[in-house]
Amino acid sequence: MRELTDLALDIARGAGASFADLRIVEQQHSQVMVQRRSVKAIDRSSSLGYAVRALVDGAWGLASSTDLSRDGVARTAHQALATARASARVPKAEPARMAPSEAVVETRVGPCAEDPFALSEGQKAELLLEATDRMLATPGVVNAMGWLAFTRLHRIIANTDGSYLDLSNTFSEPWLSCTAVVDGESQSRQYQRGGRQAGWEWVREIDLVGQARQWAEEAVMKCKAEALPAGRYDLVLDPMHLSLTMHESVGHPTELDRILGWEANFAGTSFIRPEDVGRLRYGSEAVNFTVDNTLPYGLGSWFFDDDGVRMQRFPMIEGGVLVGLGCTRETAQLVGWPASNGCCRADGFDRFPINRIPNLYMEPGPDATSPEDLIAGIERGVYIEGQGSFSIDQQRRNFQFGGDLFWLIEGGQKTRPLKKVTYQAQTTEFWGSCDGVAGKAWWAAHGTPNCGKGEPSQRMRMTHGASHARFRGIQVGDGSA
Amino acid sequence: MREGIRPAEEVRTLLEGLLGRLTASEAQVTWRQSEGLATRFGENAITQNIGGASQEVAVDVWLGRRHGQASTNRLDPESLAETLARAEAIAAESPEDPEQVPLPGPQTYGERPQRFFPATAALEPGQVADDVARVVDAAKAAGYRASGLFEAGARAEAVANSRGLFGWQAETHADYSTTVHGPAGSGKAAASQSCRSRLDPAELARRAVENARLAQDPIAVEPGDYTVIFEPLATRGMLGFMGWVMAAREADEGSSVFSGRLGEAFLDPRVTLAMRTDDPELPAPLFGDAGLAIEPRSWIEAGVVRRLFHDRYWAAEQGTTPDAARLPLFMAGEDRSVEDLVAGCRRGLLVKNLWYIRFVDRKSLTLTGMTRDGVFLVEDGRITRPVKNLRWNESPITFLQNVVALSRAERSGGWGAMKLPGVLSEGFTFTSSTDSI
Repeated sequence: MRELTDLALDIARGAGASFADLRIVEQQHSQVMVQRRSVKAIDRSSSLGYAVRALVDGAWGLASSTDLSRDGVARTAHQALATARASARVPKAEPARMAPSEAVVETRVGPCAEDPFALSEGQKAELLLEATDRMLATPGVVNAMGWLAFTRLHRIIANTDGSYLDLSNTFSEPWLSCTAVVDGESQSRQYQRGGRQAGWEWVREIDLVGQARQWAEEAVMKCKAEALPAGRYDLVLDPMHLSLTMHESVGHPTELDRILGWEANFAGTSFIRPEDVGRLRYGSEAVNFTVDNTLPYGLGSWFFDDDGVRMQRFPMIEGGVLVGLGCTRETAQLVGWPASNGCCRADGFDRFPINRIPNLYMEPGPDATSPEDLIAGIERGVYIEGQGSFSIDQQRRNFQFGGDLFWLIEGGQKTRPLKKVTYQAQTTEFWGSCDGVAGKAWWAAHGTPNCGKGEPSQRMRMTHGASHARFRGIQVGDGSA
Repeated sequence: MREGIRPAEEVRTLLEGLLGRLTASEAQVTWRQSEGLATRFGENAITQNIGGASQEVAVDVWLGRRHGQASTNRLDPESLAETLARAEAIAAESPEDPEQVPLPGPQTYGERPQRFFPATAALEPGQVADDVARVVDAAKAAGYRASGLFEAGARAEAVANSRGLFGWQAETHADYSTTVHGPAGSGKAAASQSCRSRLDPAELARRAVENARLAQDPIAVEPGDYTVIFEPLATRGMLGFMGWVMAAREADEGSSVFSGRLGEAFLDPRVTLAMRTDDPELPAPLFGDAGLAIEPRSWIEAGVVRRLFHDRYWAAEQGTTPDAARLPLFMAGEDRSVEDLVAGCRRGLLVKNLWYIRFVDRKSLTLTGMTRDGVFLVEDGRITRPVKNLRWNESPITFLQNVVALSRAERSGGWGAMKLPGVLSEGFTFTSSTDSI
């Protein structure tokens, strides 16, 4: 491949590009989906393609192709240059530049103990059918759906800085859910731990078959549960639930491209301003967030981002104060930062790399506080497990979340199940109401496999995590049906 | 690199050649091609600009009731041979599927308004950049900031199966959307057509800038139940989830809002939802699932639920014909403008656009979301003030049960497009507000 990457980069340099890269992306994908007793999807796909990205006169062009011949690569490079010149017709106020980055030649392979591509799709389907069978055997359950998806991502990134990176990662992304109908009421329950950068060993660990019956029984239980009157309640949220709350209300608003207005047409902007870093009180002193794109098994741990920047670990919120943002090489220098912190990724060979949420997690509390300790401090409240409904405004202030399982807290104890609980809050008020975080022993990760952003839409993966946390006086119930 | 859409006969030769190399009793080969440009802009400048082309072949085989699929974007002989072998290998080890139904035989595809325009397929980045410049210049002249996506290109697909079915279809698309931000409010304008020359970037810019101008300095209103006027873009947000829950099987199982509603007057008598195939502004594809011909369908007639979507398995179980596709969705309007709806409203909120819509409760089809890009207080038939964005919790069922009046229908959206009217409806529930613009 070196010959081809050199060819493209030489053409770009020769045409006066201040930066260019060629990103070759090969993906293998295995997917099995069952619904009830039926195998709805059982397939393998493979794709191979590349894009040349060129920065000419401060404007960007990207051209993609699947033609890996010398002629094809040369034509694609010239097309990227022509596209960049077209972009210059509507120029940026300041010509685009890339913050400096080290030149690196490196080959890395991510964790995968048991190769999921060594197993047949039939074996994967049989496992899912066993799980959905167990769910459907539970009286009241009318539908069950399971999904196993495995992706092997191989990237070669060469750029005009002199970097040449050969990077491979494997992602395992399972799913299982069921729907029950009891006396005209319908409720669902689903698997909650998300994906992991791993092989088949992740599927073994989560034991979908072993837990299927319990989840089915809980779906039936939800149908029979009571709804909660609207009002202000204290909440204890479990790590899986918090992973979604932080994704939407911390992950997205701290993307620097949104802050700079580049996503204003679709994904939106942010309530954060660049000058808020080091000043904005985002939450209570109990709230600490860390970015860690080196997190073992993290879905966002790609070794190097698609700008060719080595991935990093850094604080995002310390003692409730915003201290960091996720950025790219282009956005970093726009706010005067000397270098990118490696948050630029693309979801395919034909997509422009953009600022993406990294692996981002809430730090556990400093002591051995347990979830039960948090619950014991509540006179009347709600304990929420897992992820459900979610919605947030385009600047990431006003949000509403549901959950997957809800319990009433009375007198410091979980007493009975609830259904259709939602809560609404404003981002900084919500995190400001956090007065307790469970200790390290209760910290757990959730792999988010399908974060959508960008135009044309791009899907991205990252991992979040938390211990249980308590929030005081949150508005509950206005969204219940 | 763009090389042009491959013609039907060339693709037929490719697909039937692949079918001939399979040993499976039942097989289907699908081909897709896309070529296009996508130019993004933000803060009055082009921020990303991409172009490319791709093809893909997917092979489905059935060995009795055992199914396997493999696909690739590499169309060289060796890669295609690997893909054929892989699909057969997957099928050989697949569990039997009790819901497997035979593939459809040859279809007769209906006539459609023109869907492919060569000049749109051949658009160059410079032409699209010039269109962006028109919007950006208008925003700058108003002292505002424009962002957007201008996307155009061609796409085609073909399907062939072992029962003799062959279908090929191609279309071009031009999807332009822009959001213009002032210091305290935003306005959006979007337009999609099969042909770029039917779009008017200057008019798009004028609408977005005017919407942004009107949206500045919003006041807060108390959340609660309001009479609302939804522009067609907002109606699309509200009805987008309807298409996905109008499935016959889920209704028959009792988990859908449509359970037990077939034949019932469920919505306001002015509500008619259908799949049309003859609209020149939004021509439906020729075929959908497995190459099945897309035929006109009437889902809701005068508020009465007439039909729900049947996939091929459930149609066979219920003894009815399968439905090839759910979209595009058409909702009939009435002969008046959105401005007429405003004039007929004593007090309410005009909603331009919705955002981040999600299920709250699937059984009742309760959704939540935000307003975006302009909400306006309407008093005595006039827009009096812009209003801060609001969160809502509401069901499209209630929204369509409480209809007071409709405007003329307009096309809204590119992929998954619909043609829907503005809607004046009563008792729409807003639950909180935000300072976000």
